[in-house]
Amino acid sequence: MIAANAILPRDKGAAPLDLVIGVMAFLAALALGASLIADRTALGWRAGLSDRLTVQIVPPTHKMGLDEEVDVALGVLRATPGIAHAAPLTQDQTLNLVQPWIGKDALVADLPLPRLIDATITPGAEVDLAALSRTLKQVAPDSLLDDHARWIARLKGLADAITWSAYGILLLIAIATAAAVSFATRAGLQAHHEMVELLHQMGAQSGFIARAFERHYFVSALVAASVGAVLAAAFYLGAGALEFAGVEAVPFLPPLALKFSEVPWLLAVPAVSGIIALATARLSVLAALRKIY
Amino acid sequence: MHRYVLSAMVRFENVGMRYGAGPEVLRDVTFVLEAGSFTFLTGLSGAGKTTLLKLINMTEPPSRGLVTLFGQDLSITKRADFPALRRRIGVVFQDFRLLSHLSAFDNVALPLRLAGRKENEYVQDVEELLSWVGLGDRMQARPATLSGGEQQRIAIARAVVARPDLLIADEPTGNVDPEIGQRLMRLFAELNRLGTTVLIATHDRALIEGMRAREMRLVDGRLVELRTGRAA
Ligand SMILES: Nc1ncnc2c1ncn2[C@@H]1O[C@H](COP(=O)(O)OP(=O)(O)OP(=O)(O)O)[C@@H](O)[C@H]1O
Ligand SMILES: [Mg+2]
Repeated sequence: MIAANAILPRDKGAAPLDLVIGVMAFLAALALGASLIADRTALGWRAGLSDRLTVQIVPPTHKMGLDEEVDVALGVLRATPGIAHAAPLTQDQTLNLVQPWIGKDALVADLPLPRLIDATITPGAEVDLAALSRTLKQVAPDSLLDDHARWIARLKGLADAITWSAYGILLLIAIATAAAVSFATRAGLQAHHEMVELLHQMGAQSGFIARAFERHYFVSALVAASVGAVLAAAFYLGAGALEFAGVEAVPFLPPLALKFSEVPWLLAVPAVSGIIALATARLSVLAALRKIY
Repeated sequence: MHRYVLSAMVRFENVGMRYGAGPEVLRDVTFVLEAGSFTFLTGLSGAGKTTLLKLINMTEPPSRGLVTLFGQDLSITKRADFPALRRRIGVVFQDFRLLSHLSAFDNVALPLRLAGRKENEYVQDVEELLSWVGLGDRMQARPATLSGGEQQRIAIARAVVARPDLLIADEPTGNVDPEIGQRLMRLFAELNRLGTTVLIATHDRALIEGMRAREMRLVDGRLVELRTGRAA
C-alpha cells in the first residue's frame, strides 16, 4: 500500500476550491466563536445578577420615617439566613445612579429620592424571596424587593437568542462547508476518472484507489480549513488585544474576544472539514468503481 | 481433458458481445489460448479486435457466452477476486493510456507499485527495460513531450515489466518503424520464452510473417483460425 499518494498528481486545478473551503472554514470558525462568546456571556450575566437583591424604599406615605424603614428593612435582611451581606447605598451613590437620567444640579438634591439597599445572597443558598418580600412589607410598608427576576429573564432571553442564532448560523455554514468540500472532492475525482479507471484495470484494489484520493483531499481540506480557522482565531484574539488596550468594540455589549482556553474549539472546524473531504472522496471513488466492471 | 482445461490461460465459449443496444460486434467466438502460447489476432479495422481483447483483460463483461481466465469462469468469480486476476495480465492499449502527470519511469513502475514492490527493488529492472526499448535517456520525460512511437514503447514496457502470466497487446507496433517493431517483437518473444502467454492484435503482415505463430482472424465478428502456429 505504499506510495498511493505518489500516483496522484499535485492538484493545481483545485486551488479555487481550496480557497472556497478556506473561506467557509473562516466563517464557520467565526460563527463557532460567536456562539462560544454568547454562551459564556449569558452565563456571566445570569451569575452576576442572580445572587443580587435590591430593596428599594420609596419616600414614605406612611407614618414611619424613611430612615426608620431603612433600618428595619436592614435588620430583617441581616437576620435572614442565606443573605451574605446587606448595606444601604449612600445618598451620593444613589445620586450617581440617577444622574445619567436627570442630571446633577442643586435641584436634584432636593428631590425625594428613594433609598436603596444592596444585598447579596450566599452562593448556593436558597432564599424564599416571596416570604422575604412579605416580611419586608409588614415591617417597612414602603419597601419593594427587587430580585432582578424580570431583568434576568429578559437577559436570558436575549442571550439565548444570540446563542441559538449563532448555532443556526454555525449549522448553515457547516452545511455549506460540507457541500463545498464534497463538491471540490467530486470535481477533483471527475478530472481523474481516466486514472481511476486505469488503476482499476491494472488490478489496483478499490480500497487502494480510494485511499490515494481520500488522503489527498483530507490533507488539502485540512490545510485550507486550518488557514481559515487560524485567521478567525487571529480575529478574535486581536479583538481581545484591542479591548485589553482599552478600545471597546461596541459599548455595553460583551467584548468580541475569545479566551485562550476557548481557541482550541476552533480546531474542530479543520478537523470536521478534513473528515468530510475524506468521507466524500472515499464514498465517491468507491461508488464510481462499483459502476465499472 | 482435465489437463487441457488447466493449461488453458484463456477460454472463450460461444461468446457474443454488443455495446448497449447496438449490433453484435462479436458472435459465437470460441477459442482457447494455452499456457505459454503466442498468438496473433488479425482482422480489418472495426472487425472487433479491441473488443475481444477487452473481454480478456476484464474491461467489459461479455453479453453472452463463457469467458474463462486462468481456469476461472468469470461469470461466477467474485468481484473481490478480480483485482488479483487483473494483476496477472499485462495490457498494451491501442491508445496507450499513459498517466500524463507521471514520468516515463513512473509510468513503467506503476504495475510494480500496485503489486506492493519497494522502489529500491525495482529501479534497476525499470531502467534496464526502458533502455531496451530505446528510451534510456528519456526516463524522466512526461508522456506529452514524447513522440507517439516513444509513448507506445513506454506502454509496452509498462505491460511487460511485472512479467505477467498473460500479455495482451493491441497494435503494439502501430506507431514505430520496422526496425523498432522487430526489436519489440523480440521483447515479446523473450517474455513468451520465459512463460508468458502472448496475444497480439495487429495489422502488420511483415510482423506476422516473421514469426511462426498462430493466427486467429476476426471476420464479421466471427473468429477464423488461419494458422495453428509452431506445431504446424
Ligand atoms: N465503446 C463502444 N461503444 C459502442 N460501439 C463500440 C465501442 N467500441 C467499439 N465499438 C464498435 O465495435 C466495433 C468493433 O470495434 P473494435 O474497436 O473492437 O474494432 P478493431 O478491430 O479493434 O478496429 P481497429 O483495427 O480500427 O482498432 C466497431 O464497429 C465499433 O464501432
Ligand atoms: Mg482496435
